[in-house]
Amino acid sequence: MIELSHVSKTFGDATAVDDITMRVAKGKLCALVGTSGCGKSTTLRMINRLIDHSSGDIILDGQAIEQYDPVKLRRRIGYVIQSTGLFPHWSVARNIGLVPRLLKWSATDTTARVEKLMGLLGLPVEEFAHKYPHQLSGGQAQRVGVARALAGDPDILLMDEPFGALDPITREKLQEELAKIQSRLHKTIVFVTHDMDEALRLADHLVVMRDGRIVQQGTPLALLQHPHDPFVESLLGGLERGLKQAALTRVKDHMTSLGPTLPAQSRIPADFSLRQALSMMLRDHCDRLTVVDQNDVPIGELSLRRIVKEAQWDRTSQRES
Amino acid sequence: MSLIDALPSPSFKRRPWQPNVVLCCLSGSMLAAAWLLNVVSVAPNRIVSGTAFGMVDAIGWPGAALVSLLSLAMATLALMPNVRHYRAVLAIVTLTLLLMPFGLMVAGHWLVDPSLPQARLGIGPAYWTVLFVLLLCLVELRLRLGLSRWWTALLLFGVSVVWWGCAALWLDRLALVQEFQARQGQFYQALMQHMVLVSTAVGVSVVLGSLLAMLMRRYERLQKVAFTLLNFLQTIPSLALFGLLLAPLAWLAANVPTLAALGVSGIGNAPALIALIAYSLLPMVRNTYIALEEVSEDTLQAAKAMGMRTTQRFWQVRFPLALPVLLEGVRITAVQAVGLTAVAALIGAGGLGTFIFQGLGQAAMDMVLLGALPILILALMVDAGLGALADALRPGGRQ
Repeated sequence: MIELSHVSKTFGDATAVDDITMRVAKGKLCALVGTSGCGKSTTLRMINRLIDHSSGDIILDGQAIEQYDPVKLRRRIGYVIQSTGLFPHWSVARNIGLVPRLLKWSATDTTARVEKLMGLLGLPVEEFAHKYPHQLSGGQAQRVGVARALAGDPDILLMDEPFGALDPITREKLQEELAKIQSRLHKTIVFVTHDMDEALRLADHLVVMRDGRIVQQGTPLALLQHPHDPFVESLLGGLERGLKQAALTRVKDHMTSLGPTLPAQSRIPADFSLRQALSMMLRDHCDRLTVVDQNDVPIGELSLRRIVKEAQWDRTSQRES
Repeated sequence: MSLIDALPSPSFKRRPWQPNVVLCCLSGSMLAAAWLLNVVSVAPNRIVSGTAFGMVDAIGWPGAALVSLLSLAMATLALMPNVRHYRAVLAIVTLTLLLMPFGLMVAGHWLVDPSLPQARLGIGPAYWTVLFVLLLCLVELRLRLGLSRWWTALLLFGVSVVWWGCAALWLDRLALVQEFQARQGQFYQALMQHMVLVSTAVGVSVVLGSLLAMLMRRYERLQKVAFTLLNFLQTIPSLALFGLLLAPLAWLAANVPTLAALGVSGIGNAPALIALIAYSLLPMVRNTYIALEEVSEDTLQAAKAMGMRTTQRFWQVRFPLALPVLLEGVRITAVQAVGLTAVAALIGAGGLGTFIFQGLGQAAMDMVLLGALPILILALMVDAGLGALADALRPGGRQ
């Protein structure tokens, strides 16, 4: 667990981070979002003491970070950056094995760990272990970057715009894989990004920053439903907010059981989002979809009326509470 | 006709005919030099300036025809360049280089009077020009064919073995060979001295330069002072620097007996080494400093974030990544030192420069060559060797 309370950082006269208080629960992914220069990277780098904070407390597993030896602290925190920061003179395997070697694991343990992580990140060992970073594509290099960060089996992972330099397709693929890895490993992750879609897709907890301060924080759904001010609203996509919210909602949570009427032609898997359902309705010119499970067996149906009403219901229930 | 039809269609655009101008010019100048300049000169002894002979006199009509044929073939192939033609040109260049010593042999056989033991064959301007042009052709072909450093080195090595063999076995009439045979012992001694001077100066400046560069990284103020001083040293002409060191070192040797016992004196090795090191420090320090500073900040930051300690970051990340640029500095320093050491002969430090200055004094150009040619070859070898080493150490192989 990571706790920041009233943390500030000043560089000379300039204040980069101003009185931040936030908490990242164990095994959750917290996204720091904001325009560039809002202090989100500085916040991240204060956690592994690449930058020392000026005031306030940063507490890691119940202990203030000043009490840790910075080198040992960093070895138990994974770190991924946009430019990958891979060592160009080392092979992929050697890059990934860095932290285990620093932690003085045995050679066999290190090799086993490296191979396991390469498998986890979809990098076939025979093909990639001996390649050098300059022989990799951007996506492959960042996979190596993530593997390297996970190599020492840290509880905490800090990611500084890890997918920012990748093309949209690769970015989406890596986001998907990160979500999959996270659902398996349950690391405590702090994720810096300026891409709101990325944050909404991955985060359990969303922190919006502006000029070194936290403007609003909460679950992605809460932020979408009640943006605190026009800045947060514009960051959340203004008019597109409805669609973004639909993207966070699963079809299976809103479907109704199969009625007596003829099932609709278009079929949608149950774990797709409402946004994808809406898109399918627009594409197929229909207002009803048949919901199917993984084996393509119909298990329910979803209508446009239902989606719109659900959204309304969400809003009224929020207003009442 | 519509507008669309009037536009030039891309399918009609053919690749323009592009002859390799460089190779055409080179083979043209080779042909011109061979016909117009003197190929060899013959002198009855080492002092008298010789009689010059053209190509036809030196190697006869068949020889002249062969040379013309080879250069014309090169030019023709270069008119329509493709990989196969470039390979053919490379074969012709190599063949010509291999045939050149035999030309001298033929000329020596015909032109030098065997009854005069002192009579000698001098190499004329045409011969040097052709040699130079052929080496330029090799440079061009190496680029066009993408030959690796090793292939070129192997080829040149093969050619020099043939040359060496010819010189040792049959070219005893060549002035250069006669000069060499007259001073064989002296030559090897000078070569050794030269190499010892160069390697000592480079070795010391690598150590001193690295230390200085590291100090400069720590203390920023030192950086300005040191670079100003080293830049200033570099502007002093080498001869002047040797002269300037003469007085203080002579004084030191006279007043401090321990230094005198160590061999320090106004002339000889001590001032030569000091001056060589002074000149070597600038390229060494500059490259080491830049090499260490230029390592990507992101990589170093990542190393820190992974939990590497300061010494680990230096020896495992910063230093290996700086090594190729650092070696580039060693290469520049060494090549520069090979040349500068020639001047050191003037203050009695020995080395191959001795032959240059003696030859100049006696107006014996062949003796000057005996000093200058090995210096040239030494410089090229040092350059190629250290360049290859830097390539091999580049992170992750070739980039």
